[in-house]
Amino acid sequence: MKRSVLIYQSIALITLAVAFILLWSFSKGTPFVESGLTFDETAADSYAVLQENLYRMVPILLGSIFFSIAIAFYLEEWLAQTSWIYGIVAQQITILASIPSLLYGLLALYFFVLQSEKGSFFTHALTVVLLVMPITIQSTQMAIRGVDISVREAAFALGANRWRVVIDHVFPNAFSTIVAGICTAISRALAISALIIVVYFWREPALQSGDTFNVPSSVIVLLSSALLSSVISSFLEKKANLT
Amino acid sequence: METNNHSIETQNLSLWYGDFQALIDVSVNIPAGKITSLIGPSGCGKTTLLRCFNRVNERYGNVTTKGEIKILGKNIYDPDVSLLELRKTVGMVFQRPNPLPISVYDNILFGLRIHSPFGSLKRSQSDEIVEEALTSVFLWDDLKDKLKTRATSLQLEQQQKLCIARLLPLKPQIILMDEPCSALDAKGTLAVEELMSVLAGTYTFLIVTHNMAQARRVSSECIYMFLGELIEHRETQALFETPEHPKTADYVQMRYG
Repeated sequence: MKRSVLIYQSIALITLAVAFILLWSFSKGTPFVESGLTFDETAADSYAVLQENLYRMVPILLGSIFFSIAIAFYLEEWLAQTSWIYGIVAQQITILASIPSLLYGLLALYFFVLQSEKGSFFTHALTVVLLVMPITIQSTQMAIRGVDISVREAAFALGANRWRVVIDHVFPNAFSTIVAGICTAISRALAISALIIVVYFWREPALQSGDTFNVPSSVIVLLSSALLSSVISSFLEKKANLT
Repeated sequence: METNNHSIETQNLSLWYGDFQALIDVSVNIPAGKITSLIGPSGCGKTTLLRCFNRVNERYGNVTTKGEIKILGKNIYDPDVSLLELRKTVGMVFQRPNPLPISVYDNILFGLRIHSPFGSLKRSQSDEIVEEALTSVFLWDDLKDKLKTRATSLQLEQQQKLCIARLLPLKPQIILMDEPCSALDAKGTLAVEELMSVLAGTYTFLIVTHNMAQARRVSSECIYMFLGELIEHRETQALFETPEHPKTADYVQMRYG
Protein backbone atom coordinates (compact mmCIF):
# COMPACT_ATOMS: atom_id res chain seq x y z
CA MET A 1 0.00 0.00 0.00
CA LYS A 2 1.48 3.29 -1.07
CA ARG A 3 1.82 6.11 1.39
CA SER A 4 0.50 8.66 -1.08
CA VAL A 5 -2.67 6.61 -1.60
CA LEU A 6 -3.23 6.65 2.14
CA ILE A 7 -2.71 10.38 2.38
CA TYR A 8 -5.09 11.10 -0.51
CA GLN A 9 -7.73 8.82 0.96
CA SER A 10 -7.44 10.45 4.37
CA ILE A 11 -7.76 13.91 2.84
CA ALA A 12 -10.77 12.77 0.82
CA LEU A 13 -12.40 11.28 3.89
CA ILE A 14 -11.83 14.38 6.00
CA THR A 15 -13.16 16.64 3.25
CA LEU A 16 -16.22 14.43 2.87
CA ALA A 17 -16.91 14.49 6.59
CA VAL A 18 -16.61 18.24 6.85
CA ALA A 19 -18.74 18.69 3.72
CA PHE A 20 -21.34 16.36 5.19
CA ILE A 21 -21.55 18.33 8.42
CA LEU A 22 -21.81 21.63 6.59
CA LEU A 23 -24.39 20.40 4.09
CA TRP A 24 -26.44 18.80 6.83
CA SER A 25 -26.60 22.00 8.81
CA PHE A 26 -27.35 24.08 5.72
CA SER A 27 -30.13 21.75 4.72
CA LYS A 28 -31.65 22.23 8.15
CA GLY A 29 -31.48 25.94 7.60
CA THR A 30 -29.19 26.59 10.56
CA PRO A 31 -25.69 27.72 9.72
CA PHE A 32 -23.20 25.63 11.64
CA VAL A 33 -21.34 28.51 13.20
CA GLU A 34 -24.20 30.53 14.55
CA SER A 35 -27.00 28.10 15.14
CA GLY A 36 -29.78 29.45 17.27
CA LEU A 37 -28.57 30.23 20.73
CA THR A 38 -31.93 30.61 22.27
CA PHE A 39 -32.20 28.64 25.41
CA ASP A 40 -35.00 28.07 27.76
CA GLU A 41 -35.40 26.26 31.01
CA THR A 42 -34.89 22.91 29.30
CA ALA A 43 -31.21 23.72 28.86
CA ALA A 44 -30.35 22.49 32.30
CA ASP A 45 -32.23 19.28 31.58
CA SER A 46 -30.34 18.73 28.41
CA TYR A 47 -27.05 19.33 30.22
CA ALA A 48 -28.06 16.61 32.61
CA VAL A 49 -28.84 14.39 29.65
CA LEU A 50 -25.41 15.12 28.22
CA GLN A 51 -23.75 14.15 31.46
CA GLU A 52 -25.86 11.07 31.80
CA ASN A 53 -24.90 10.13 28.28
CA LEU A 54 -21.26 10.46 29.21
CA TYR A 55 -21.76 7.89 31.94
CA ARG A 56 -23.60 5.68 29.55
CA MET A 57 -20.60 5.89 27.27
CA VAL A 58 -18.50 3.90 29.74
CA PRO A 59 -19.85 0.47 28.70
CA ILE A 60 -19.59 1.51 25.04
CA LEU A 61 -16.00 2.51 25.65
CA LEU A 62 -15.14 -0.76 27.37
CA GLY A 63 -16.95 -2.75 24.70
CA SER A 64 -15.15 -1.01 21.86
CA ILE A 65 -11.80 -1.57 23.58
CA PHE A 66 -12.58 -5.24 23.96
CA PHE A 67 -13.60 -5.51 20.31
CA SER A 68 -10.54 -3.59 19.17
CA ILE A 69 -8.23 -6.02 20.93
CA ALA A 70 -10.13 -8.97 19.48
CA ILE A 71 -9.96 -7.49 15.98
CA ALA A 72 -6.25 -6.75 16.29
CA PHE A 73 -5.51 -10.31 17.40
CA TYR A 74 -7.64 -11.72 14.62
CA LEU A 75 -5.85 -9.58 12.03
CA GLU A 76 -2.36 -10.34 13.26
CA GLU A 77 -2.60 -13.94 14.39
CA TRP A 78 -5.31 -15.59 12.37
CA LEU A 79 -5.66 -13.76 9.09
CA ALA A 80 -2.88 -14.23 6.55
CA GLN A 81 -1.25 -10.89 5.88
CA THR A 82 -1.36 -11.59 2.16
CA SER A 83 -5.16 -11.94 2.04
CA TRP A 84 -7.20 -9.16 0.50
CA ILE A 85 -9.41 -8.79 3.60
CA TYR A 86 -6.32 -7.95 5.64
CA GLY A 87 -5.27 -5.37 3.06
CA ILE A 88 -8.62 -3.59 3.04
CA VAL A 89 -9.22 -3.66 6.79
CA ALA A 90 -5.68 -2.57 7.65
CA GLN A 91 -5.91 0.31 5.17
CA GLN A 92 -9.22 1.57 6.54
CA ILE A 93 -7.96 1.36 10.11
CA THR A 94 -4.85 3.32 9.23
CA ILE A 95 -6.96 6.01 7.60
CA LEU A 96 -9.38 6.27 10.52
CA ALA A 97 -6.57 6.35 13.04
CA SER A 98 -4.72 9.07 11.20
CA ILE A 99 -7.66 11.49 11.19
CA PRO A 100 -7.01 14.16 13.81
CA SER A 101 -9.18 13.73 16.89
CA LEU A 102 -10.27 17.32 16.47
CA LEU A 103 -12.36 16.25 13.50
CA TYR A 104 -14.11 13.64 15.59
CA GLY A 105 -14.58 16.35 18.18
CA LEU A 106 -16.20 18.53 15.54
CA LEU A 107 -18.46 15.70 14.54
CA ALA A 108 -19.35 15.05 18.15
CA LEU A 109 -19.85 18.72 18.86
CA TYR A 110 -22.24 18.98 16.00
CA PHE A 111 -24.31 15.99 16.94
CA PHE A 112 -24.03 16.31 20.72
CA VAL A 113 -24.54 19.98 21.09
CA LEU A 114 -26.00 21.60 18.04
CA GLN A 115 -28.23 18.94 16.66
CA SER A 116 -29.81 17.10 19.49
CA GLU A 117 -32.15 18.44 22.04
CA LYS A 118 -31.95 15.44 24.29
CA GLY A 119 -28.89 14.00 22.66
CA SER A 120 -29.04 10.94 20.56
CA PHE A 121 -27.39 8.02 22.21
CA PHE A 122 -26.56 6.44 18.88
CA THR A 123 -24.50 9.34 17.56
CA HIS A 124 -22.64 9.65 20.83
CA ALA A 125 -21.81 5.97 20.80
CA LEU A 126 -20.71 6.18 17.18
CA THR A 127 -18.35 9.02 17.95
CA VAL A 128 -16.77 7.19 20.85
CA VAL A 129 -16.38 4.04 18.76
CA LEU A 130 -14.83 5.98 15.86
CA LEU A 131 -12.51 7.82 18.18
CA VAL A 132 -11.32 4.87 20.22
CA MET A 133 -11.37 1.79 18.01
CA PRO A 134 -8.90 2.63 15.23
CA ILE A 135 -6.18 3.80 17.62
CA THR A 136 -6.65 0.87 19.95
CA ILE A 137 -6.58 -1.61 17.08
CA GLN A 138 -3.45 -0.04 15.67
CA SER A 139 -1.57 0.10 18.94
CA THR A 140 -2.58 -3.48 19.77
CA GLN A 141 -1.35 -4.59 16.34
CA MET A 142 1.98 -2.91 17.03
CA ALA A 143 2.18 -4.57 20.44
CA ILE A 144 1.50 -8.00 18.92
CA ARG A 145 4.12 -7.47 16.22
CA GLY A 146 6.55 -6.43 18.95
CA VAL A 147 6.48 -9.90 20.49
CA ASP A 148 9.65 -11.63 19.39
CA ILE A 149 9.18 -14.17 16.59
CA SER A 150 11.42 -16.62 18.44
CA VAL A 151 8.89 -16.90 21.26
CA ARG A 152 6.23 -17.93 18.78
CA GLU A 153 8.51 -20.34 16.97
CA ALA A 154 9.55 -21.97 20.22
CA ALA A 155 5.96 -22.50 21.30
CA PHE A 156 4.79 -23.70 17.89
CA ALA A 157 7.70 -26.10 17.58
CA LEU A 158 6.74 -27.64 20.92
CA GLY A 159 3.32 -28.39 19.48
CA ALA A 160 1.28 -25.51 20.87
CA ASN A 161 -1.69 -24.46 18.77
CA ARG A 162 -2.52 -20.88 17.89
CA TRP A 163 -4.81 -20.27 20.88
CA ARG A 164 -2.24 -21.59 23.25
CA VAL A 165 0.50 -19.42 21.79
CA VAL A 166 -1.68 -16.32 21.90
CA ILE A 167 -3.01 -16.84 25.42
CA ASP A 168 0.19 -18.12 27.03
CA HIS A 169 2.78 -15.99 25.30
CA VAL A 170 1.75 -13.29 22.87
CA PHE A 171 -0.87 -11.68 25.11
CA PRO A 172 1.15 -11.59 28.36
CA ASN A 173 4.19 -10.25 26.51
CA ALA A 174 2.25 -7.60 24.65
CA PHE A 175 0.05 -6.70 27.62
CA SER A 176 1.71 -3.54 28.90
CA THR A 177 2.05 -2.10 25.41
CA ILE A 178 -1.61 -2.88 24.73
CA VAL A 179 -2.68 -1.13 27.95
CA ALA A 180 -0.49 1.84 27.07
CA GLY A 181 -2.30 2.10 23.72
CA ILE A 182 -5.69 1.89 25.40
CA CYS A 183 -4.73 4.65 27.83
CA THR A 184 -3.71 6.89 24.95
CA ALA A 185 -7.03 6.25 23.20
CA ILE A 186 -9.02 6.88 26.37
CA SER A 187 -7.19 10.09 27.14
CA ARG A 188 -8.01 11.29 23.63
CA ALA A 189 -11.68 10.49 24.16
CA LEU A 190 -11.72 12.15 27.58
CA ALA A 191 -10.09 15.31 26.30
CA ILE A 192 -12.61 15.59 23.50
CA SER A 193 -15.47 15.03 25.97
CA ALA A 194 -14.12 17.82 28.14
CA LEU A 195 -13.98 20.08 25.11
CA ILE A 196 -17.59 19.35 24.26
CA ILE A 197 -18.78 20.05 27.77
CA VAL A 198 -16.91 23.35 27.85
CA VAL A 199 -18.41 24.45 24.57
CA TYR A 200 -21.82 23.29 25.68
CA PHE A 201 -21.56 25.15 28.93
CA TRP A 202 -20.25 28.24 27.29
CA ARG A 203 -23.23 28.71 25.04
CA GLU A 204 -25.82 28.04 27.71
CA PRO A 205 -26.36 31.20 29.70
CA ALA A 206 -28.87 29.31 31.78
CA LEU A 207 -26.05 27.34 33.33
CA GLN A 208 -23.89 30.35 34.14
CA SER A 209 -24.12 32.19 37.36
CA GLY A 210 -23.76 35.91 36.96
CA ASP A 211 -20.90 37.25 34.88
CA THR A 212 -18.25 34.73 35.76
CA PHE A 213 -17.63 31.79 33.57
CA ASN A 214 -17.73 28.66 35.68
CA VAL A 215 -15.81 25.71 34.50
CA PRO A 216 -17.93 22.69 35.21
CA SER A 217 -16.38 20.30 37.67
CA SER A 218 -16.89 17.42 35.28
CA VAL A 219 -14.46 19.08 32.87
CA ILE A 220 -11.81 19.21 35.56
CA VAL A 221 -12.41 15.56 36.35
CA LEU A 222 -12.26 14.62 32.66
CA LEU A 223 -9.12 16.58 31.94
CA SER A 224 -7.29 15.31 34.99
CA SER A 225 -8.23 11.72 34.13
CA ALA A 226 -7.01 12.35 30.59
CA LEU A 227 -3.73 13.58 32.01
CA LEU A 228 -3.51 10.66 34.40
CA SER A 229 -4.11 8.12 31.68
CA SER A 230 -1.45 9.73 29.47
CA VAL A 231 0.98 9.46 32.34
CA ILE A 232 0.08 5.80 32.91
CA SER A 233 0.45 5.18 29.20
CA SER A 234 3.93 6.67 28.96
CA PHE A 235 4.99 4.85 32.12
CA LEU A 236 3.81 1.52 30.71
CA GLU A 237 5.47 2.17 27.40
CA LYS A 238 8.75 2.84 29.14
CA LYS A 239 8.35 -0.31 31.17
CA ALA A 240 7.57 -2.36 28.05
CA ASN A 241 10.68 -1.03 26.34
CA LEU A 242 12.85 -1.96 29.30
CA THR A 243 11.87 -5.61 29.49
CA MET B 1 8.52 -51.31 7.24
CA GLU B 2 11.42 -51.97 4.91
CA THR B 3 13.90 -49.56 6.41
CA ASN B 4 13.64 -49.47 10.14
CA ASN B 5 16.98 -47.84 10.63
CA HIS B 6 15.96 -44.61 8.91
CA SER B 7 14.19 -41.97 10.96
CA ILE B 8 13.51 -39.60 8.12
CA GLU B 9 13.07 -40.41 4.45
CA THR B 10 12.21 -37.97 1.71
CA GLN B 11 11.30 -38.74 -1.91
CA ASN B 12 11.70 -36.04 -4.58
CA LEU B 13 10.93 -33.27 -2.14
CA SER B 14 10.53 -29.88 -3.80
CA LEU B 15 9.52 -26.68 -2.07
CA TRP B 16 8.64 -23.23 -3.34
CA TYR B 17 8.39 -19.90 -1.49
CA GLY B 18 6.00 -18.19 -3.90
CA ASP B 19 7.80 -18.50 -7.25
CA PHE B 20 11.21 -19.23 -5.79
CA GLN B 21 12.14 -22.88 -5.66
CA ALA B 22 14.12 -23.47 -2.49
CA LEU B 23 14.37 -27.26 -2.63
CA ILE B 24 14.80 -29.25 -5.83
CA ASP B 25 14.02 -32.99 -5.83
CA VAL B 26 15.66 -33.80 -2.53
CA SER B 27 15.72 -37.50 -1.73
CA VAL B 28 17.48 -38.36 1.47
CA ASN B 29 17.49 -40.97 4.23
CA ILE B 30 18.55 -39.94 7.70
CA PRO B 31 19.80 -42.82 9.85
CA ALA B 32 18.19 -43.39 13.23
CA GLY B 33 20.10 -42.80 16.44
CA LYS B 34 22.97 -40.94 14.82
CA ILE B 35 24.03 -37.35 14.32
CA THR B 36 23.72 -36.19 10.73
CA SER B 37 24.94 -32.76 9.72
CA LEU B 38 23.71 -30.57 6.89
CA ILE B 39 26.30 -28.28 5.40
CA GLY B 40 26.40 -25.89 2.47
CA PRO B 41 26.67 -22.20 1.67
CA SER B 42 24.02 -19.73 2.89
CA GLY B 43 20.73 -19.89 1.03
CA CYS B 44 21.24 -23.46 -0.17
CA GLY B 45 18.10 -24.75 1.54
CA LYS B 46 19.56 -26.45 4.60
CA THR B 47 17.31 -24.69 7.06
CA THR B 48 14.32 -25.02 4.74
CA LEU B 49 14.85 -28.77 4.55
CA LEU B 50 15.20 -28.99 8.32
CA ARG B 51 12.02 -27.00 8.88
CA CYS B 52 10.06 -29.30 6.56
CA PHE B 53 10.50 -32.15 8.99
CA ASN B 54 8.24 -30.73 11.68
CA ARG B 55 6.21 -28.62 9.29
CA VAL B 56 7.07 -25.26 10.85
CA ASN B 57 7.55 -23.97 7.29
CA GLU B 58 3.83 -23.96 6.71
CA ARG B 59 3.31 -21.00 8.97
CA TYR B 60 4.73 -18.70 6.32
CA GLY B 61 1.75 -18.40 3.95
CA ASN B 62 2.92 -18.95 0.39
CA VAL B 63 4.79 -22.23 0.73
CA THR B 64 4.13 -25.07 -1.74
CA THR B 65 5.54 -28.51 -1.10
CA LYS B 66 5.69 -31.50 -3.46
CA GLY B 67 7.04 -34.96 -2.85
CA GLU B 68 7.00 -37.14 0.21
CA ILE B 69 8.45 -36.94 3.69
CA LYS B 70 8.27 -40.01 5.88
CA ILE B 71 9.09 -39.73 9.54
CA LEU B 72 9.44 -43.07 11.27
CA GLY B 73 7.79 -44.63 8.22
CA LYS B 74 4.74 -42.34 8.24
CA ASN B 75 4.08 -39.72 5.59
CA ILE B 76 3.73 -36.45 7.48
CA TYR B 77 1.50 -34.89 4.83
CA ASP B 78 -1.17 -37.58 5.26
CA PRO B 79 -4.47 -36.04 6.28
CA ASP B 80 -4.64 -38.10 9.48
CA VAL B 81 -1.34 -36.76 10.81
CA SER B 82 -1.76 -34.48 13.80
CA LEU B 83 0.66 -31.57 13.92
CA LEU B 84 0.61 -31.87 17.69
CA GLU B 85 1.89 -35.44 17.61
CA LEU B 86 4.39 -34.68 14.85
CA ARG B 87 5.92 -31.85 16.82
CA LYS B 88 6.04 -34.03 19.88
CA THR B 89 8.03 -36.64 17.97
CA VAL B 90 10.22 -34.14 16.16
CA GLY B 91 11.68 -31.51 18.47
CA MET B 92 13.49 -28.44 17.24
CA VAL B 93 16.30 -26.28 18.61
CA PHE B 94 16.77 -22.90 17.01
CA GLN B 95 19.71 -20.76 15.99
CA ARG B 96 19.25 -18.24 18.75
CA PRO B 97 18.44 -19.73 22.13
CA ASN B 98 14.74 -19.05 22.52
CA PRO B 99 13.55 -20.07 25.97
CA LEU B 100 10.03 -18.86 26.59
CA PRO B 101 9.93 -15.76 28.80
CA ILE B 102 8.66 -17.76 31.79
CA SER B 103 10.47 -19.56 34.61
CA VAL B 104 12.98 -22.35 34.01
CA TYR B 105 10.58 -24.78 35.65
CA ASP B 106 7.66 -23.79 33.42
CA ASN B 107 9.83 -23.87 30.33
CA ILE B 108 10.62 -27.52 30.88
CA LEU B 109 6.98 -28.36 31.51
CA PHE B 110 5.44 -26.21 28.77
CA GLY B 111 5.59 -28.91 26.09
CA LEU B 112 4.34 -31.60 28.41
CA ARG B 113 1.44 -29.47 29.61
CA ILE B 114 0.29 -28.99 26.02
CA HIS B 115 0.35 -32.69 25.38
CA SER B 116 -1.33 -33.92 28.54
CA PRO B 117 -4.89 -33.34 29.72
CA PHE B 118 -5.41 -30.42 32.07
CA GLY B 119 -4.59 -31.16 35.70
CA SER B 120 -3.15 -34.60 35.01
CA LEU B 121 0.37 -33.60 36.05
CA LYS B 122 0.98 -34.02 39.77
CA ARG B 123 3.33 -31.64 41.51
CA SER B 124 5.76 -34.36 42.64
CA GLN B 125 5.68 -35.87 39.19
CA SER B 126 6.53 -32.59 37.50
CA ASP B 127 9.34 -31.91 39.97
CA GLU B 128 10.81 -35.25 39.01
CA ILE B 129 10.46 -34.56 35.29
CA VAL B 130 12.16 -31.19 35.61
CA GLU B 131 15.04 -32.67 37.58
CA GLU B 132 15.46 -35.49 35.09
CA ALA B 133 15.43 -33.18 32.06
CA LEU B 134 17.89 -30.73 33.61
CA THR B 135 20.16 -33.54 34.76
CA SER B 136 20.39 -35.02 31.28
CA VAL B 137 21.61 -31.69 29.87
CA PHE B 138 24.01 -31.20 32.84
CA LEU B 139 22.18 -28.13 34.09
CA TRP B 140 20.69 -29.47 37.31
CA ASP B 141 23.61 -28.54 39.54
CA ASP B 142 23.73 -25.00 38.19
CA LEU B 143 20.02 -24.37 38.15
CA LYS B 144 18.50 -26.37 40.97
CA ASP B 145 18.27 -23.23 43.11
CA LYS B 146 17.13 -21.07 40.24
CA LEU B 147 14.10 -22.97 38.99
CA LYS B 148 11.86 -19.97 39.53
CA THR B 149 14.05 -17.46 37.70
CA ARG B 150 13.04 -16.22 34.30
CA ALA B 151 14.68 -18.41 31.68
CA THR B 152 15.61 -15.46 29.50
CA SER B 153 17.92 -14.15 32.22
CA LEU B 154 20.23 -17.19 32.10
CA GLN B 155 23.56 -17.27 30.27
CA LEU B 156 23.25 -18.02 26.54
CA GLU B 157 24.85 -21.43 26.90
CA GLN B 158 22.45 -22.36 29.68
CA GLN B 159 19.55 -21.05 27.63
CA GLN B 160 20.45 -23.23 24.66
CA LYS B 161 20.85 -26.28 26.88
CA LEU B 162 17.50 -25.47 28.44
CA CYS B 163 15.99 -25.38 24.94
CA ILE B 164 17.25 -28.91 24.44
CA ALA B 165 16.12 -29.95 27.91
CA ARG B 166 12.54 -28.80 27.37
CA LEU B 167 12.22 -31.21 24.44
CA LEU B 168 13.20 -34.23 26.48
CA PRO B 169 10.06 -34.68 28.66
CA LEU B 170 8.09 -35.11 25.42
CA LYS B 171 10.27 -38.10 24.58
CA PRO B 172 10.96 -37.05 21.00
CA GLN B 173 12.55 -39.45 18.53
CA ILE B 174 14.21 -36.84 16.41
CA ILE B 175 15.82 -33.54 17.38
CA LEU B 176 16.37 -30.95 14.66
CA MET B 177 18.99 -28.30 15.33
CA ASP B 178 19.37 -25.16 13.29
CA GLU B 179 22.89 -23.87 13.89
CA PRO B 180 22.55 -24.47 17.62
CA CYS B 181 25.97 -23.10 18.49
CA SER B 182 26.19 -20.01 16.31
CA ALA B 183 25.25 -17.74 19.21
CA LEU B 184 27.57 -19.44 21.70
CA ASP B 185 31.24 -19.02 22.51
CA ALA B 186 33.80 -21.81 22.25
CA LYS B 187 33.10 -23.15 25.72
CA GLY B 188 29.35 -23.15 25.16
CA THR B 189 29.78 -24.82 21.79
CA LEU B 190 31.89 -27.55 23.32
CA ALA B 191 29.31 -28.10 26.05
CA VAL B 192 26.45 -28.43 23.57
CA GLU B 193 28.47 -30.74 21.33
CA GLU B 194 29.32 -32.99 24.26
CA LEU B 195 25.70 -33.06 25.20
CA MET B 196 24.76 -34.11 21.68
CA SER B 197 27.24 -36.96 21.64
CA VAL B 198 25.88 -38.21 24.95
CA LEU B 199 22.28 -38.01 23.78
CA ALA B 200 22.91 -39.50 20.31
CA GLY B 201 21.80 -43.08 20.27
CA THR B 202 18.69 -42.27 22.24
CA TYR B 203 17.70 -39.57 19.76
CA THR B 204 18.28 -38.97 16.09
CA PHE B 205 20.00 -35.63 15.56
CA LEU B 206 19.91 -33.58 12.40
CA ILE B 207 22.03 -30.48 12.68
CA VAL B 208 22.47 -27.58 10.30
CA THR B 209 25.84 -25.93 10.66
CA HIS B 210 28.07 -23.42 8.94
CA ASN B 211 31.00 -24.59 10.94
CA MET B 212 32.65 -27.41 9.02
CA ALA B 213 34.95 -28.26 11.89
CA GLN B 214 31.85 -28.81 13.98
CA ALA B 215 30.25 -31.03 11.34
CA ARG B 216 33.43 -33.07 11.31
CA ARG B 217 33.62 -33.29 15.08
CA VAL B 218 30.08 -34.28 15.93
CA SER B 219 28.38 -35.98 13.02
CA SER B 220 28.67 -39.48 11.70
CA GLU B 221 26.99 -38.69 8.40
CA CYS B 222 27.11 -35.48 6.44
CA ILE B 223 24.95 -34.00 3.70
CA TYR B 224 26.20 -31.30 1.36
CA MET B 225 23.60 -29.08 -0.30
CA PHE B 226 24.02 -26.45 -2.97
CA LEU B 227 21.32 -24.12 -4.38
CA GLY B 228 18.45 -26.28 -3.21
CA GLU B 229 19.88 -29.56 -4.44
CA LEU B 230 21.35 -32.39 -2.46
CA ILE B 231 24.83 -32.88 -3.88
CA GLU B 232 26.36 -35.52 -1.69
CA HIS B 233 25.40 -37.60 1.33
CA ARG B 234 28.04 -39.87 2.84
CA GLU B 235 29.80 -40.67 6.03
CA THR B 236 31.36 -37.52 7.42
CA GLN B 237 34.95 -38.63 7.22
CA ALA B 238 34.59 -39.86 3.65
CA LEU B 239 32.80 -36.72 2.57
CA PHE B 240 35.52 -34.50 3.94
CA GLU B 241 38.50 -36.56 2.89
CA THR B 242 37.48 -38.01 -0.43
CA PRO B 243 34.53 -35.99 -1.73
CA GLU B 244 33.03 -37.55 -4.86
CA HIS B 245 31.43 -34.48 -6.34
CA PRO B 246 33.63 -31.57 -7.49
CA LYS B 247 31.21 -29.05 -5.89
CA THR B 248 31.55 -30.79 -2.53
CA ALA B 249 35.31 -30.80 -2.91
CA ASP B 250 35.30 -27.07 -3.62
CA TYR B 251 33.29 -26.40 -0.49
CA VAL B 252 34.90 -28.71 2.04
CA GLN B 253 38.38 -27.79 0.90
CA MET B 254 37.46 -24.14 1.36
CA ARG B 255 37.83 -23.21 -2.27
CA TYR B 256 34.27 -21.97 -2.16
CA GLY B 257 31.97 -20.45 0.44
